[in-house]
Amino acid sequence: MIRFIAQRILWTFVVLLFLSLITFGLMHAVPGGPFDREKTLPPETIKVLNEKYHLDDPLWKQYVDYLVGVLVPRVNDNPPTSLTDSYLINIPLWGDTEFHWMNFGPSYRSRSRTVNDIIREQLPISFQLGVLSIIMSLIIGMPLGVIAALKQNTVWDYLGMSVAIFGVSVPVIAMGPVLVWIFGVALKWLPPAGWGSKPPYLMFFVPRQLGWDYWRYTILPVFALGVSHAAIIARLTRASLLQVIREDYIRTARSKGLTERIVVTRHALRNALIPVITVLGPMFAAIVTGTFVAEQIFGIPGLGKYFITSITNRDYPVIMGTTLLYGMMLLLANLMVDISYAWLDPRIRYD
Amino acid sequence: MAEKETIAIPARRKSGSLWGDAVYRLSRNRAAIMGGVLIILLILTAVFARFIAPYTYEEQDLKSNSAVAQWELSIFPMMEPYANITDKYALGADNLGRDILSRLIYGAQISLSVAFIGPVVALLVGTVYGLISGFFGKNVDNIMMRFVDLMYAIPTMLLIILMMAFFRGSFNLSEPGSFAWWMNEIDKRFGGMLFIFIGIGLTAWMGTARLARGQVLSLREQEFVLAARAVGSTNGRIIFRHILPNILGPLIITVTLAIPGYISTEAFLSFIGLGVNAPTPSWGSMIAEGSTAIRSYPHQAILPAIALSITMFAFNFLGDGLRDALDPRLRGT
Amino acid sequence: MIKKLSVILSIVLLASMLLTACGPTATQAPAAPVKETIIVGGTPEVVYVTVPPEEPPPPVDTGEGKTLRVSFGYGDVPTLDPSLSTDTSSVQVVDELTVGVTRLDEVTLELKPGMAKDWDISADGTVYTLYLEENIPWVRWNGTEVEEVLDCDGNVRYVTAEDFVYGIKRTCDPRTASDYAYVLGFALAGCNDLLAGDSESEEFQALIDGVGAKAIDDYTLELTFLTPAAYNLNIAGMWIARAEPSWIIEGDDCTEARGDRWTEPGFNQAYGPYVLKEWIHDSTLTIVKNPFWPGIDSAPQAKIDTIVFSMLDTPVAFAEYEAGNLDVSGIPQADIDRVKADPVLSAELYQGFSGCTYYYGFNTSRPPVDNVHLRRAFSHAVDRQALIDNVLKAGQLPAQWFCRPGMVACPTPDNNPDVGIKTDMAAAQAELELALADMGLASVDELPEIVLMYNTSEGHKNIAEAIQQMWVDTLGIKVSLTNQEWAVYLKTVKSADAPHIWRMGWCLDYPDANNWLKEVMSVGGSSNSDENADGVPDGGLIWLNETYEQLVNDGAVEQDPDKRLDMYIQAENILVYEDAAIIPLYFYTSLSVSKPYLDRTYSMHGHDAYEKWDIIK
Repeated sequence: MIRFIAQRILWTFVVLLFLSLITFGLMHAVPGGPFDREKTLPPETIKVLNEKYHLDDPLWKQYVDYLVGVLVPRVNDNPPTSLTDSYLINIPLWGDTEFHWMNFGPSYRSRSRTVNDIIREQLPISFQLGVLSIIMSLIIGMPLGVIAALKQNTVWDYLGMSVAIFGVSVPVIAMGPVLVWIFGVALKWLPPAGWGSKPPYLMFFVPRQLGWDYWRYTILPVFALGVSHAAIIARLTRASLLQVIREDYIRTARSKGLTERIVVTRHALRNALIPVITVLGPMFAAIVTGTFVAEQIFGIPGLGKYFITSITNRDYPVIMGTTLLYGMMLLLANLMVDISYAWLDPRIRYD
Repeated sequence: MAEKETIAIPARRKSGSLWGDAVYRLSRNRAAIMGGVLIILLILTAVFARFIAPYTYEEQDLKSNSAVAQWELSIFPMMEPYANITDKYALGADNLGRDILSRLIYGAQISLSVAFIGPVVALLVGTVYGLISGFFGKNVDNIMMRFVDLMYAIPTMLLIILMMAFFRGSFNLSEPGSFAWWMNEIDKRFGGMLFIFIGIGLTAWMGTARLARGQVLSLREQEFVLAARAVGSTNGRIIFRHILPNILGPLIITVTLAIPGYISTEAFLSFIGLGVNAPTPSWGSMIAEGSTAIRSYPHQAILPAIALSITMFAFNFLGDGLRDALDPRLRGT
Repeated sequence: MIKKLSVILSIVLLASMLLTACGPTATQAPAAPVKETIIVGGTPEVVYVTVPPEEPPPPVDTGEGKTLRVSFGYGDVPTLDPSLSTDTSSVQVVDELTVGVTRLDEVTLELKPGMAKDWDISADGTVYTLYLEENIPWVRWNGTEVEEVLDCDGNVRYVTAEDFVYGIKRTCDPRTASDYAYVLGFALAGCNDLLAGDSESEEFQALIDGVGAKAIDDYTLELTFLTPAAYNLNIAGMWIARAEPSWIIEGDDCTEARGDRWTEPGFNQAYGPYVLKEWIHDSTLTIVKNPFWPGIDSAPQAKIDTIVFSMLDTPVAFAEYEAGNLDVSGIPQADIDRVKADPVLSAELYQGFSGCTYYYGFNTSRPPVDNVHLRRAFSHAVDRQALIDNVLKAGQLPAQWFCRPGMVACPTPDNNPDVGIKTDMAAAQAELELALADMGLASVDELPEIVLMYNTSEGHKNIAEAIQQMWVDTLGIKVSLTNQEWAVYLKTVKSADAPHIWRMGWCLDYPDANNWLKEVMSVGGSSNSDENADGVPDGGLIWLNETYEQLVNDGAVEQDPDKRLDMYIQAENILVYEDAAIIPLYFYTSLSVSKPYLDRTYSMHGHDAYEKWDIIK
């Protein structure tokens, strides 16, 4: 098992390298550059900008420099005021000296921030939003699916599944404004926009205060984002549980005299969850894309919008940084899924 | 005690092939039939849109912008002070005075094509891929899944947007006959949807592949597989006659459940302005446009959302029916 | 189980009621006699004094005072560096943190003294000697309050002419890479030369010294311009020519250089009515009143203590406004009808001036729109009023020419009703006939495909779709619509392969017709590019008309306002009618809602003067 995990982590690294290569190539192949303006900049200014951001180096050199910046850690005592010489991870060692790692480069669009700043300040928010959405969909979806499966073909089943289908078919784009309208504007129970935490964060993504002032901003967006995924989980849980419950070993467990509750939770659920766990991987990807819309609708200062606007702005370092981050999170999520496969079903072996 | 009632033995069809049984069971499932009929109706609507729709999808009557039908006013009385009431349009008009009903009918074309491309590609490519990967296991599985990981890590959005920027951006820069020019021409034929199709196709198969592979991994250790081997079945036979029918259940569910995802993707792309070329309508873009008007003219977003919901219900009932039909042990109906 | 619970509950309830009844309440404490020792005639005596009950303390002034909540559009403010600002949001904040030598009155568009209280102009009109306000300190937010910035000797740093010189030279320096420096380059001597200079060469320092900005003494600034133009001081007052704190950008003996990061909260230093307090990127930007700003006529001391800027998309901002969390908001297109019909909202609605024009440009070198009759036909066939009434709905004005009425030397609909081009369906069809005859075609079906391109946005799409339909109805020509995202769009439009018809808007940099007719439309302008500077246009309109060039060049230096207006009217007629190089569509208005407790002014020049606002609750 350990060997398996180690192998996978190594593989993750290879995939990220491949991803960075593809992204780099694609984004430079597309016409338009970061310094295209309505009024064309004077040639000397463009020359200076290209020099400053090393855009006049040959492409392969830009790529290698970028990789070196991201991968090679440094130990020095330069106070980070420069935009090209700043890092994501800064650990103070002794005196003024610090350990620096991961320089994702400056942002071309914002003239006073680096990609590292953007990630450090805004990734936690998207992460919170995403994780809360997934948790919410699990909390709502699984019990709904279990009940529907156990009470198959009763009114609970039909009702639950109808609600689920409806939830799936209304995208965030429509659900969001409706929720804002009802709860934010008409009833004024919850704030229509904003987020309750601001940098810096503990342990990279945990907000410093977790009171009602924080949670009240999370309710509407998490619900809007998570409800369609809750529906998917509900239906999947139901289908899978229905299948498992008819298995022979369940009949055996029942005939042993175990209570229905233990039969379901201890025996049936573990196996029924495999398809559910599987979709958590791609669901995570979908939620990340969904955060872009949710962040715009609810005015949440997360990282989601940078996925899209950086491409529009040709902000190369932001594109690379967000894509690599996204890829890394996705791969880690898949790794978790595969590990939990093995835990849930001992028959599954990888060696 | 002797039993007084005789137990009627239900007349049973002569037991046929697995698939024959499936069709039989499907035909008894009323909800599934309803779903299937609905989908066929939708397809017909899309194909014969030109004859069914009262107006074309682009005819504008600027003076009737955001017109509201009387029955819509009774549902949303808050529109009273400012609504432009008309009986010209059955479902009201959008913000440029175009008939919503006609646009919904034409929109079915785009939305249904998006809804079909994904599952078709997913089922064909993804299932086969996952079957092979899961069944043969070990190194084959490792390599195949690592490839999926590779493809997975590339964000779809990035791919689609960059593709569109590249091809559409080379508007004038591509000479006729070059690759970029051809892509643009085909894109125009498809009403601007080519890259969305490519993007959806590229990502659709991966989820199914992973799911199929997961299912196969747990199934291949089961007794019936062992039994089939003992009898001397070839690998191919085991895969397609024994394992495949057993995994199809969750697969079909997942695939039909992913359909709204594809339509959402299309709506999302319309939201950021990269969807179909104006003025071609699609339900996704109608929802995206209508969502900004939701507090003033709710019907503009709600009507396409209802159309979407109905389609989803249809696909889901059909999907449920298919799953029930294909898994004989799930006879609960 | 439940019975037990209810018993416990009732006991608790009873207990709490009793306890509150017995406990002392804040406002009714009986006065208790207090034992005090006082000295009477040298002898300590013990006396019992009845102390009147303490008045409840007055509400503590937390120092937060009045707060204004506003929203910029979606997206972070790109920068707060005056030299680098281009976006409205950047310029808005910079205009509160700093004040230029002159300041445009936002209501009358009159140029008023700013940091320069007075000035002398030389005989030839190119050298201005400006006398600056004295003893205005640089300030910063230190975490708890606004404090003055001290220099290495412990003295307060005041804004000097040297700071302005530094700021101007920094803007003109190619190493700063300022987007807007070209405007300064148009007017100020030596700026363009510096911008084009090679930063590695030996002459570079000479170029820096050659920029027409000199500090005669601490409070006297001398600016040298290229021509005696009427708008020189307008440009000198823009955000690109502000005083900048060289010590924190470059560093000095007691201050660490902050370089590109000097505008971040914690380092940012300002001298105007407000100071930067907090900037949570992509979320909110907060500025607080600068108590050390003495207030001048054109920029009085602020009355509102704190301004919080959010960065929300318009529909979201409007929802926040309706929920009571924002004090001002724009109105999403789709909600305009509802707002106008709502008794409360319509009272809060204001339709204000906006100094922008929306137009479609032609690539006049690309067939078939290289034919002037076809272009004129397209222009006549747009029903501008219908567009405004049914699609835009914000009371915009149909545009017959390009330069926005209200700019100096620009025609106005009241005084010049027949200038330019008008909506006229009959004329459109007549022009179409001429065009077809010119090209030797029998009908419109033989025309090659014509493409109308716009940058990706819901609003532009709606307008394009409506106009596309109008052309089908009147001319029988269906143009193809396509869109590109902004970065690619700009590149495409400015290239030699610009599409037939492309959409563009222009908003004033300073309120003078020169900014419009010369800086946008003439050869080398932003919509008629001349990449290799050879006098032949190679992008955008790709349009050259010698008479037009002559007119706008002469108009730039003409001093007589009547003659000047006449020249620009002739130029407009050439631009939109004789050559029909663009289709002017409409002049923007700005629709907004403000809460009734706001005492505010409505700006004509694109951003607000918050120091003049007040909150009356």
